[in-house]
Amino acid sequence: MKQHLGRQAGVQNVEVSLRDGKVDIVPKEDGQIDPTKLLKATYDSGVSVAEMDVTARGNIVKNASGDLALRIAPNRSFAFVPNEQSKALEALVDSPTEVTVRGQLFKKPAGKKKADTAPPMKLVILEVQKKE
Amino acid sequence: MGSNRAVLLIVLCGTMAIVPVVQAQIKHIEMRVEGMT
Repeated sequence: MKQHLGRQAGVQNVEVSLRDGKVDIVPKEDGQIDPTKLLKATYDSGVSVAEMDVTARGNIVKNASGDLALRIAPNRSFAFVPNEQSKALEALVDSPTEVTVRGQLFKKPAGKKKADTAPPMKLVILEVQKKE
Repeated sequence: MGSNRAVLLIVLCGTMAIVPVVQAQIKHIEMRVEGMT
């Protein structure tokens, strides 16, 4: 699995902890990494993903559906699942302030053998790390 | 006067060149997986 993930676009380094069942992925700075493709690549290597957390930096915007989102590239954003943390970021919509957030992008639904990993996936903000 | 401006301009350009460009992007991904042997 480590080699399989390491071959994906935008991946700098992959660390696998067999004991904890944790996989740490460090992206390259080219912005090519795609969490959806990583999920698919993990499933393709015969391993089931229970949860995926992402730390990302970007601007707060409202997307075409009117949802609050983190824009990490001109044509790429993660819509937020509304919660207290996302509400606190509403004031930053369309401001130049860059925000670093850690959030859950994917969680396998209980009882399902294989979860739906089709985009767009929504981000549940767990922590706002930085505003600048 | 003119040479002072030129020196300032060079220093300014040099500073801009060494300050890393901060990009909006994914910084880190962590997955919890099941069925790994």
